Amino acid sequence: MTTLEQHSNTPPAAAGPLDRLRALHADGALAREYASLPALLAQIPADRDGFAELRRIGLLLERLDPEEVAEHGAAAGAPVETFTVAVVGHSTLTSLYAALTAEFARHGTLLRTVKGGFDSYLRDLQDTASPLYSPGVKLALCLLDPEVVFDEVAQAWTAEDVEAAARAKLAQLDRLVQRYTERGGAHLVLNTVPLQRAHTHRFVDYRSRAALGIAWREFNAGLLRLAARYPGVSVIDLDPLLADAGPVNDPRLSLYAKAHLGDELLSRYAREVGHLAQALRGRTKKALVVDLDNTLWDGVLGDDGPDGVAAAGTLRGEAFGRFQQVVKHLGSQGVVLAVSSKNDQDAVLRALQENPDMVLREPDFARINANWAPKDANLRDLAAGLNLGLDSFVFADDSPFETGLVAASLPQVAVVQLDDEPAWHVGRLLADGWFDTLAITDEDRARGGLYRAEAARQVLLENTDSPEEYLRELGITVTVARVLERDVPRVSQLTLRTNQFNLTTLRLQPEEVRARAEDPQQLVLAVRSADRFGDNGTVGAIFARRSGDTLHIDNVLLSCRVFSRGIEQAALSALLRHAAATGLAKAEGVYRPSPKNANFRGFYAAQGFEPVAEPGGEAARLVFRRGLAAPPAVPEHIRLDSELEGPNR
Amino acid sequence: MIDELEFIRIVRDELSLPLADPDLDADLDQVVHWESVHVVRLVVALEKETGRRVPVSRMLTERTLRGIYEAVVKA
Repeated sequence: MTTLEQHSNTPPAAAGPLDRLRALHADGALAREYASLPALLAQIPADRDGFAELRRIGLLLERLDPEEVAEHGAAAGAPVETFTVAVVGHSTLTSLYAALTAEFARHGTLLRTVKGGFDSYLRDLQDTASPLYSPGVKLALCLLDPEVVFDEVAQAWTAEDVEAAARAKLAQLDRLVQRYTERGGAHLVLNTVPLQRAHTHRFVDYRSRAALGIAWREFNAGLLRLAARYPGVSVIDLDPLLADAGPVNDPRLSLYAKAHLGDELLSRYAREVGHLAQALRGRTKKALVVDLDNTLWDGVLGDDGPDGVAAAGTLRGEAFGRFQQVVKHLGSQGVVLAVSSKNDQDAVLRALQENPDMVLREPDFARINANWAPKDANLRDLAAGLNLGLDSFVFADDSPFETGLVAASLPQVAVVQLDDEPAWHVGRLLADGWFDTLAITDEDRARGGLYRAEAARQVLLENTDSPEEYLRELGITVTVARVLERDVPRVSQLTLRTNQFNLTTLRLQPEEVRARAEDPQQLVLAVRSADRFGDNGTVGAIFARRSGDTLHIDNVLLSCRVFSRGIEQAALSALLRHAAATGLAKAEGVYRPSPKNANFRGFYAAQGFEPVAEPGGEAARLVFRRGLAAPPAVPEHIRLDSELEGPNR
Repeated sequence: MIDELEFIRIVRDELSLPLADPDLDADLDQVVHWESVHVVRLVVALEKETGRRVPVSRMLTERTLRGIYEAVVKA
């Protein structure tokens, strides 16, 4: 059969991502090329047209056979990850499915959706046989719209009627959310609901409009509070999204197609959900690398000199100053900041130290790479120096040459393309929630200082003769203690964010960490470390449990900031001594390979464990066992402070 | 005013439908991936494209894409 595609006048040379996808689709090559989608989709701007294009791309991708995509990925040795989302709501959500499919494709993930029936959200929250409760669902989206309240009021309603209906609806949702958090397995996502002029202006008097406005905002505030009350629940505030997306809907789509939430709003919501899923999977980006000339300041350092570049005092300068404030704000929440700039290091340092305009100063950056090497090489160097994976990096630059080079050479790096209008910089940087996370911890707030201490350690390392001498000079203290309530957020975060030294990649939300810590058969340990340069905070965790005469170690984690210092040996030694002292005879540890943790495959063997064959066990899982008659020693250079029963040394 | 090819492009763009020649005259129920909601979406897209109001109610009674196209042209 001839398709009508050939009649269409496709734009020739400058084929955009949608056209290239259509061509792939027409050739039947879309499933095979799934892994190349993130690079292609990253080119689409976060504006109205961009979201419309992504929605159309999503419609195409929705029709792919997931099995076919999976087969191609497996055949290419690069398995495509899938993520299952359940969606229920009160209105027509067809365009949301397309938008979500495209957003997950941007992250290289294949979305599987489980869909509830039209207007079935209340029943679906209640009924444990509904899609929201399906096994394998990681995110459960419950889409609310204004009609969830307005459907409940009689004709010619008053503001009091709406207030009563909103209060009743909130109470009902509260009960259902509580039920879901107790019995459902997924992270639940609700949203605030927009109030439209077509609602407020049905009132002719200002008093009633104000009363309606108050009742509505209390409803939304109540929804937002659900996230604070129930772990495992997030509420996406639609107001900020709507401020960019408007209008809420097209009245005809709303009335005739029951699409109460418009395409662009749903697309922006889908973008948030895409990043939330990344956060749940421990894929939050960790570092922001910024260019300097015309990115952080107005001007070119080489031409204008350290005093000539501006970030205040002029209209354009102030725009850069605003951008610096936002970058600093991200840094204050644990985003590691670094510089990659084609300049001389001395001039850069002088500008950061002496130019009075600067909001960001030298100590705000964990590393400053100012040199003339290509920026992809500098990003590799920064990744090595900070001991972070390149896929943890976001790179922002005003030069399309530099962003193009990094995007092509290092596809795992998220690129923020800035341009010659600094007023757009902040919006561009924040358009994607690369650093989105469920909650931040004290460690996050202190991270800047931790990386500065790291620089001081580096100086010590360069001035000592041997690694052994360096470790002795560091004067490391390791503290091992049972996880208390105050440690729960950080320990959960370690399981979610740590990819390298994470022996089983067991990801645990705070409530799961808490449940394990409260179980008397389990042992959940927080590992802290400190040295002469300062406190490292909670850098590791161990999950273990007793069964018969055996200690089963479910996971061991260590932050990449403190690798190669023997901290993990010391912590494991404390645990094994404790196990021996409390009557256990042997210990078993599990290693489950991930794309990131291969360097630590040999951890248990190095601690005197022997590999154990597990008949009928999971193929990829390796089990190691050792007796506890002579537990491994604490490394000489470490002072261990264990709060567990058993000898400290 | 848009011509037939333009109309087909808009249908394809807006709904990402893999249209085949006979689809223009087929009953909408026979068009692959067709959903009733699509009519309204199409109207909104056609308005954007043509800058003219298209009456939704008339479209809702059309049974083929050609019928919709002709109703738009006459609108």
